[in-house]
Parts: sequence; structure tokens; C-alpha cells
Amino acid sequence: MSEGTVQSLSRIRARAIKGFLRQLLGHGGAQLGLVCLVFFVAVAAMPNILVGPLQTAITATGDFLAPPSGQHLLGTDDVGRDVLNLVAHGARISLTIALLATVISLIVGTIVGITAGYFGGWVDVWLMRLTDFFFVVPSFVLALVITPVVLEVMGRGGEILGFRPSLFVIIVVIGLTSWAFIARVIRSQTLSLKERTFVDRARIAGSSDTSIMVRHILPNLVPQIAANGALVVANAIYIETSLSFLGLGDPLQPSWGTLLSLAQRAGAASVGAWWYLGAPGICVLMVSLAFVLIGNALDDTFNPRRRVIP
Amino acid sequence: MSNTSKNTTPPLLIVDGLTVDYGTKGVSLRAIHDVSFELRAGEAVALVGESGSGKTTTAMAIAGLLSPNARVAGGEVRYRGSPLPIDDDAAMRPHRWSETSVVFQGAMNALNPVHRIVNQIAEPCVLHGMSRAEAMARARELLELVGIPADRGAAYPHQLSGGMRQRVMIAMALACRPSIVIGDEPTTALDVINQAQVLKLLVDLRTKFNLALILITHDLSVVAESCDRVMIMYSGRIVEDGSVADIFAEPKHPYTRLLMDSIPNPAEGKRMLRPIPGDPPTLMKRPLGCAFHPRCPSAMAICATEAPHLNAYGKGRVACHLHNSLAPADKVSVNA
Amino acid sequence: MSRRIGAIFLRAMMTLLMVATLNFILFRVIPGDPASLLLGGARISVTAEQIEAQRQSWGLDRPLFPDQVVDYLSATVHGDFGYSFKFRGRHVADLILERLPATIALVGLAQFIAILCGVMLGVYAGWRRGGGIDHVATGASLALYSTPSFWLGMLLVVIFSTALGWLPGYGASSPGATIGFVAWLLDYLRHLALPVFAVALGLIGQYVVVARAAMSDVVTEDYMVTARAKGLTNGQMLMRHAFRNAMLPVVTLVSLNLGYVVAGAITVEAVFAWPGIGGLTVEALNARDYPVLQGVFLLLGVSIVIANLIADLAYGLLDPRVKQ
Repeated sequence: MSEGTVQSLSRIRARAIKGFLRQLLGHGGAQLGLVCLVFFVAVAAMPNILVGPLQTAITATGDFLAPPSGQHLLGTDDVGRDVLNLVAHGARISLTIALLATVISLIVGTIVGITAGYFGGWVDVWLMRLTDFFFVVPSFVLALVITPVVLEVMGRGGEILGFRPSLFVIIVVIGLTSWAFIARVIRSQTLSLKERTFVDRARIAGSSDTSIMVRHILPNLVPQIAANGALVVANAIYIETSLSFLGLGDPLQPSWGTLLSLAQRAGAASVGAWWYLGAPGICVLMVSLAFVLIGNALDDTFNPRRRVIP
Repeated sequence: MSNTSKNTTPPLLIVDGLTVDYGTKGVSLRAIHDVSFELRAGEAVALVGESGSGKTTTAMAIAGLLSPNARVAGGEVRYRGSPLPIDDDAAMRPHRWSETSVVFQGAMNALNPVHRIVNQIAEPCVLHGMSRAEAMARARELLELVGIPADRGAAYPHQLSGGMRQRVMIAMALACRPSIVIGDEPTTALDVINQAQVLKLLVDLRTKFNLALILITHDLSVVAESCDRVMIMYSGRIVEDGSVADIFAEPKHPYTRLLMDSIPNPAEGKRMLRPIPGDPPTLMKRPLGCAFHPRCPSAMAICATEAPHLNAYGKGRVACHLHNSLAPADKVSVNA
Repeated sequence: MSRRIGAIFLRAMMTLLMVATLNFILFRVIPGDPASLLLGGARISVTAEQIEAQRQSWGLDRPLFPDQVVDYLSATVHGDFGYSFKFRGRHVADLILERLPATIALVGLAQFIAILCGVMLGVYAGWRRGGGIDHVATGASLALYSTPSFWLGMLLVVIFSTALGWLPGYGASSPGATIGFVAWLLDYLRHLALPVFAVALGLIGQYVVVARAAMSDVVTEDYMVTARAKGLTNGQMLMRHAFRNAMLPVVTLVSLNLGYVVAGAITVEAVFAWPGIGGLTVEALNARDYPVLQGVFLLLGVSIVIANLIADLAYGLLDPRVKQ
């Protein structure tokens, strides 16, 4: 390839990316989702600067279950901690768990999908059997059964890679149980991609199967991975929140779900402490809505006729 | 309209100055402009043009099937002497299928996949006043008429071949004994053998029931075998109108001539389809003057500024400054 | 036709086998053998005879494969899921059966309401795409779709129970005077109202989104133009030609969704202390009562498989194209 072609290729790519961004940002839903997301990512990035270190029962500053006031914008919880403080720190935990779980899902889903689609035959049949299982059995249910057992085996103390063991387990379990949807999408795309001439050319040129999959097919799957990845994040947030709500989270690193669980145990609903249960819930709603909107917008932009929402 | 003046019976259908716009997001786009023609009972007319030429909009207007974002900006359609409310969806309902029916292209999608074909054929009969039993009997009779054994009526569309589905579509079009049948590219999706058979069926049935046929196509070779008259459309206007014999023998409009040249003619050894140079105009971007002038081999100065009128010429009509004796010479010099 | 059904059943069996296998592996991954775990986990509530019976029925002194696997599977097939740690060594199957009706009432009613409202609203929104109702319904549905249903439940308690005092937000019956079937039923339904509403609202969001998408695909199909050309009214076009075609993806989703509905119901039951499978799951989770958790998992597997079967068979009835 001459230098001129490389240059014009990169120019074409730059123009395509610019056009893509313009179209994406012209999407009302995407704008709303992105604004929302940027806000929460900023909060998650520097909770200590914004609201100070995570409060505990000992460092709590307020009354018990005090409604919102000038001093505590979102009120306090049942041990007097500032809910705004808890929610801001929860953003960090919830977003990190969801994003890491999504990365695992995307990696597993892409590997399974691409392998099944590329090799076909028995590999395809058996991988898809496996995928079917994970597709029909909700990952929340799988996680519900697997998480406590794994925690039992590993113990709940200490930290793994900066996470409390229960959070680490939740990340891995969510990641390993919610890839089926991605695998299906990737497989069907791979099936059509492997018939294209550039794959034949690579094969004739002597590229190995792995190299064809990684260097020729994978780059073409990026749009699908991105659009569906956004939906996987929304789903991961949902599962994490539900698992933590049922008490599988960790009170030392409270996610939004853990906060909701604490609120439920404190009887926040029956004493009308709407701020305590409202704040984390609204956060969950806004972040998952943001990801759903972005996923939809990405999908609309990449292939205008189809929609991802199942 | 001199080509039909010898005929004394009043025309079945008169399209008079019909102009239709499509509105999308506040922008109004003109799909057809000042389209006028007459159709007599039993007459077969071809509407020929590229996609976007307005042939489908013209036909859909006649069938009362304009889409909700279409607006009749001028002109009217008269059927048996009285104007049709073509921009009133509800008012057109009794007219649809009982007077004007349509054979759609690619019958796979035009037939509902979840209903048996005999029911789909009987459906309009019931709508237009037959009892359920009569309608079913009629549907079976129609199936036999198009060469499908009546007991195949229980089949679903996906169980039939492409040619069979198109026959079902034709049977369906005849269900309510209409006076006009519109064929919307009825043979496009078929292979050559089925194409010929379906076309022959359509022509035979047209003669048998004295139907007026409007055949929409972009394929002139289909026209020669099935129609009496051809109207060539380009960018929303009729550019030439004449009998099949005249137009095939001596096309007047440069566009028609190029279309004729593009028909593959094995006899002369020209097997390659010769495309017309240049791109067809889009609805958004239409050249000033004659819409064809940027691609026209014989374009003159006036063509870029003034749209030619569709004037009588010989036994037909043509819209071209080359054949317009009324072209004001002084205007040419002013604009040149 | 029969080959298709055969394949469907084979797939169903595979799914169940995998659920059982996972259960088998999970229970044996926990340190210590399952019987001693049963002793430890149960603290004082399991008798030595029960553990010995369990040891024998699981054949724990024999090799893991094939003996233990086969024994485990055969015990499972016979409905023997072992004993609960928490509930004084009761049979897991009995516990589950006891709690099942409450969950069936909750999930069944919520599904019914969600299908009725969600599908109708979605079909209408897709039919009149871009209209006022479409915008409102789509926006609200996306929000509901993104909201955990247990949180909706908590909000409902705050609003309708704590603030307004209209409906009870806890349990399945009022303490004290509920004499007679009618009084009991009314009281039960009053307790059921908020949990059902919480589960249904989340589902409505999903069903609106799916039904709308299906419908907006159908309205652009060529056969809809044919229907219009035949002179059908809008209502006739919707009912005879659009609705059934639009229902194809909806039927699949609604049936496949069952697992997710029950999963969502687990958390909602936790909010309302509803005495169903979800409540049982939460109790088992807190007490690390693994046999109960695994029994619940198996139950969910079976119900998901059954829902899948129904979906596949219903699809065959609705769409003539899949018969071959």
C-alpha cells in the first residue's frame, strides 16, 4: 500500500467518523443519554472532592432519617449519614461493577460468537447450545445461585484488586452469565462477514484462522459490539442493583443497590423516608436509561432499519 | 388528445392536470406535475419511466392509494364522468378494488403470510357486498381461471412458487370485477419463463373481460407485447404519449429514443444494455427548464430555462422543444 | 412438523440437564461434603438420621462420576431436592410447593395485566407511529424498562401505603378478623395489589417497546398496501392483517420472558414480604440455605423450559411458515 493510499484511507475514515458523530449527536435521545452519563461519570470519578470521604455510622453528621435540608440536600439515612454522600460514592461502585462486568461479557460473548460463526459445524452447534442456556436462564437467577456459593468458597474478608470479595464475585458472575445475547448477535454478523471477499483474500494469502478472526472480522463487528454493549451495561446495572438489594453486596463498599437494601431494612418505605430510597433509585433509573438511549441511538446510526431493544 | 378522438364513447378515466406533492418534515416535494391523460374501457396503457419518474405516484393516485403524506396540489381524476375524491382516504374506500384493482410486484410480500390464499382472494368480495359462501366460490373460480387448481387455495403464500403467487395476485385483482387493473411491475420479480407466462395471462384476461390496463414498468420490452399505448414519464411529467406502434417505430422525445436504444436487441448483436448517461434527477434536486436537458444529447439553450409543454404532435403527444412549433423564438434569444 | 417438535423437546431437556448439572457442581464446590455442610449449615435443626438418609440417597461415599451424578439426577427427577437448613430440615420440595401459589398469583396477574395494557398500547403506538400517544408511551416505556421493579414497589409503598394509606404494603393478610372466604379473598387481593402493580409496570415498559417495534415493522409491509387497496378500513387492516403478524415477535418475547418475570418478582416479593418463592429465596439467601436456593433454581429452570415449549408451539400455530 503506498503512502498516498494510506493517507487518503485515513482521511476517509476520519470523515466517516465525523459524519457518524454528527448523526449520533443529532439524535435527541443520545444527547440526553450522553449528558446524563457524563454527569454520573464525573461524580463517580471524584466523589471525595465533591462530597468528602464515604461516611460511616461513626463519622455520620446528621440526625436519623432527617428529610432534605440545606445542610443535607438529600436528607440522611437511619444512622445519620448524608444520603448525597452515600449516593455519590455509590455511583463509583455501581458504575465500576457494571462496566467491568460488561467488559467480561463483551469479551466472552465476542469470542463465543466469532468462533461459532467462523468455524461452523459442530463447534457452532455446541457453542450455540451453551449460548441458548445462558440466553433463556436469566443471568440474575444464575448469579443468585452462584454468588453465595462462590462467596462461601472464597470467604468475605479482605480485598481482591481493590474490591471487597462480594463485589469482585458479583462482577465476575454478572460478566460470565450475561454474554449470550452478544454471542448471538456476533455470530450472525460473523456468518455474513466470513462470506465476504476480504476473508477469502486473507485466507488465500495464508493468514491463520485466528489472525483472520482478529484482524479481519473483529474490526467489522465493532458497531454491533458498541451498540449492544450499551444495553449490556444497562442490564448489568439492573442485575447488580437487584443482587445487592437482596443482600449480596458489601456494606463497606455500598453500591446503589446496597443502599436500597439498607433503606428497605431500615423500613424507609413504611416511615415515608422517600429521600433515602428515592435518591439511589433515581440514579439507577437515570444511568440505565442513559445507556439504553445511547445504545438505541448507536444502533439507529449504524443500521437505521433495525432496533436493538429486544 | 387527438390519439383517441376517433373513439366516440366517453373515456372511462380522465386524469386532468394532476399534481401531487409529498410533504416530509415541512419540505414539500413535487412527485408528479400536471399529468393529463385519458383511459378508455378495455384499453391497455403502459406507464414507463425510471424510478422516481412519478409513474407509481400517478397509478397510486388513480387507485386512491396515495400515502398520507401526499397532497393533491392541483388537477383531478374523473371516473365515469365524476371526480374521484383521491385525497380522501375514507371516501375512496368503496371505489378501491371494486372499480380499480392493483397487481402488485413481488407477490411474496404483497400477500399476507399468515392467511390462506383463498381467503385473501375472497376478502375483497365480502367487503364489497358478497356473502361469505359466494365469495369463497368466487375465489375458487378465480383460482381456476388463472390456472391454479382450486384445492390449492388452502395453501399459504410461502408454499407457492413466485409465478404462482403472482397468479394469485392476478386472481385477487379480478375478484370484484373491476373496470381498471393497474399492474405495478407485475413481472419484475420473476424469472424469464414465468415473466412471459404471467404477462400472457394478464393480456388474455384483459381481453376476455374487456379490462382497462395500466401497466407500470421500466422495461420497454414488456410493453410491446401487452399494450396499445405508451406514456413515457420523466421526473414527474409525461414527456411522450403515443401508440406502441408509433413510439417503437419513431420515438420523438430524445429520452424515449435513448430508452429504445437501451433495449438489448440480439438481432442486431447489441447484447449489452446501454445505460443512459448521467443520473436521473431526484425529487429534491430537479433541473430548471426541461428536467432532461442535462442528459439530453440534443439540448438547446431554451431547454435549460423553459419546461416544454406536452403538446399534440402527429397522432400522439410530446413534451420537447425540438418538436414544439410554438416555441417562441424571441424568448430563446433573450435567455441565451 | 413432528421433527420440529422433537427438536424443541430435545432442546428443553438439554436446558434442564444443564440446570441440574450446575446445581450438582455448585453443591459440591462448597468445602466439605454436602452432608456435613448440611449439618453445619443447619446448625441444630437437622437430625443425624436425616443426614444419613441424605448421604445414602446421594451416595456420597461412592465416586463422583458417574455414580453420584446419576443418583443426584434420579433423586431430582423424583422430586427429592433434599432438606432445608433453615426450616428445621423440612423437604425443599414441600417448602417450594407451599410457597408456589402466592408467586403464581403475583406473576400470573401481573403478566395478564402487562400483556393486556402493554401489548395494546404498544400496538397502538406502532400503528400510529409518531403520534402523541406514541411519544408519551415510548418515553414512559423506556423509563419503566430502565427501572428496577422492586424500586417501583418501594415507591408504591411510600405513596399508596404510607402517605395515602389506601393499600397495605406488607404481607399477604391482615392480622385478625378475616372470617369467611370472601373476606379473606378481598383482603388477599388488597395485599396483592401493590406487588402486582410493581411487577406489571416494569413489564408494561418492555411489552410496549416490543409490540411497538413489531407493529411499526408490519405497517411498512407490502401486504398492508394490498389490504388498503382492497378497500379495508383502518380498523379492518389493523385487526385482520397487522395484528396477527405483529403478534409473532410479541408471543416469543412474552413466553421467553417468564424467567425474567419471576426473577423480577423475587425482588418485589422481598419488598412486600410476599410469602411466595421470592420471599423464600431471600430467606434462604440470608440463611445460606443452599438446598432451598437450588430447588428454586431448578423450579425456575423447569418453568422457563415449559414457557419456551409453549412459545415454540404457539408460534407454530400463529405462523404457518414454521410448520415445515
